[in-house]
Amino acid sequence: MIHPLHSMAVWIQSQVPPLSQLTSTDNNSVLAHMSEALRQSVYRVLSLLIAVLPGLLAFFVAFLLFTALGMGVSALLRRGLAWARFDERLFRNRSDWAPSTPPTELVARASFWICLLLGLLIGVSAFDASYASANAPAFAVLPYLTHFVGALIVLLFGTLIARFLARSVLISAVNAQLQYARFLSLGVKWLVLVLTAAMVLDHLEIGGNIVELAFGIVFGGIVLTLSLAVGLGSRDLVSRSLESQLERSDRNAPPLTPPGTASDESIRHF
Amino acid sequence: MATADPISDLSRPPARTGYALLVSIAALPQEQFDGLLARLQELFAPEDLLIATQNAFTPDTYPSLRIVNAPPSSTSWTLTAGDFVAANELAQKHDARHILILGPECSSLSADTLRELATPVISGSVDLAVPNYRLPANAGLVNSAILYPLTRALFATRVRYPLAIDLGLSQRMAARLAAAGQRLGQNDSLIWPVAEAVTSGFNIGEFEVDQRALPQPTDPDIRTILTAITSSLFSDIESKAAYWQRARRLPPPRPEHLRPAHTGSERTSEVVSMVEGFRLAYSNLQEIWSLVLPPATLVGLKRLSVMDAASFRMPDPLWARIVYDFLVAFRLRTINRGHLLGALIPLYLAWVAGHINLSSSGTDPEHHIEAVAAAFDADKPYLVSRWRWPDRFNP
Repeated sequence: MIHPLHSMAVWIQSQVPPLSQLTSTDNNSVLAHMSEALRQSVYRVLSLLIAVLPGLLAFFVAFLLFTALGMGVSALLRRGLAWARFDERLFRNRSDWAPSTPPTELVARASFWICLLLGLLIGVSAFDASYASANAPAFAVLPYLTHFVGALIVLLFGTLIARFLARSVLISAVNAQLQYARFLSLGVKWLVLVLTAAMVLDHLEIGGNIVELAFGIVFGGIVLTLSLAVGLGSRDLVSRSLESQLERSDRNAPPLTPPGTASDESIRHF
Repeated sequence: MATADPISDLSRPPARTGYALLVSIAALPQEQFDGLLARLQELFAPEDLLIATQNAFTPDTYPSLRIVNAPPSSTSWTLTAGDFVAANELAQKHDARHILILGPECSSLSADTLRELATPVISGSVDLAVPNYRLPANAGLVNSAILYPLTRALFATRVRYPLAIDLGLSQRMAARLAAAGQRLGQNDSLIWPVAEAVTSGFNIGEFEVDQRALPQPTDPDIRTILTAITSSLFSDIESKAAYWQRARRLPPPRPEHLRPAHTGSERTSEVVSMVEGFRLAYSNLQEIWSLVLPPATLVGLKRLSVMDAASFRMPDPLWARIVYDFLVAFRLRTINRGHLLGALIPLYLAWVAGHINLSSSGTDPEHHIEAVAAAFDADKPYLVSRWRWPDRFNP
């Protein structure tokens, strides 16, 4: 009787090639598989690069083109405005011009940066259009760059406006001798900053409804706090101010103040 | 061919055409206008006079006088660029050789004052005749604190009211002021006649005025007045920097004019209010002041903030330094100019509080104002240095 194990071994032996034969065959097969895999991955990378290259090229062409355009426009504006004496005309009795850079320079620089930004945006759009984003999720984030740049601009302007308004309110409140001048100034500053933060998050599409809701609550809270502070804290001051304004508007012309009259006793700054 | 004989032309004095004096008068109530015209007719021959008025009139009302319409002024309290441009145009149109500009509420000017302002200009001895108003101690404070000391220190002139509203002008002075007005391009801009005259090398004459009702701005708020006047003055100084940076000798002091004896009056409540305002500003505006003022000045302000209202007085060198630093910051645009001039208001009110305290204690306010002006003169090298090298270390 033939042992079943023996018959199984014979069968395996018939199926498996001899050891020497097995080693050489396996080596060939693995190398073939590896080279095939490598070839396919190189092919995929090259295909990807070939697919991306027109987009990248379009991006760089747009960017460089608009940079050159910006430089040209900037130089043209600088010369044109200098020829037209734009600074002198603008400064005629406009002493409240705040930046230390002359307006001509500012306009020239702004035009350059606007062109540069435009080139960036158009480049990104061209890249997006020339490349199917569904094929590569890694590149799908690039169009988001436009939102990011927009959010940065909003943040920058929001911060500047907040600082300007805070200073304006602080100086006006101090000159009106309001004791809570700093509190008022801080309130206005945070009001604008909260508004800016909400706009930035909305622009970045972060948070969705939560941001809107939170913004509404915080903004409303600040306004309510300020209203209560002004309404309760300086009710008399506000009413006096309104009364004096009404009295002032009733007078059409300043009264004559001949010398020697009682009005000499009051302080006259002019 | 007949030719003109040149000898006969030389033997005959050239016939003078036009008018000797154009008198530009701001809008006045009718009876005051009539009174002023009567005074002018007493002083000058009617055929030499050309009156430009903003009042409505009919030719039959004043048959002996030549009267023309002047365009309305843009403000009711001072002279502006539009007034100078209009006066110069009228003078050129009607061939008037000299101009007397009388500002708002000029009916209070006496005949002597009118003569003193017009005669030197007509005689050609001065190009700009300016009045020296005799005002109460508590009036014209912006002028006393800022305009007079700054103009004196920078332009080396002792004209007490650089923003006078009654002026006698020669033809070339009027043309110069009109050109300055046209350069500014806005009718309501302020023009600084004294600075214009000094930089042009024209002669200036100053004449005492006994009585003058100075009109007040429509909006009596100090924030409006101070901002409007100082920003205009600072801009004018900025545009004339090449002139005033050179050292110039100040003319000798004018003879002391007899002024009524000063009687100090108590103004405790106003002083307390202004000092409280300064303390509030000191505790809130440190951040803004520190952008403009050097540490030494801030230390001076700290000392000032702990003084009680009764003995409160801003030292003259400190005030001069503050104004100079604000002028430099205005030029450099360290912060927004509206903010800058807003931050100057509590400091100015602190100066006013000190000035009133001194006046109340019996000190002649004119002596104090002269001392302030002397402090500005003494500290001018600091301004020139900071103007030229603003980034240099300034403790």
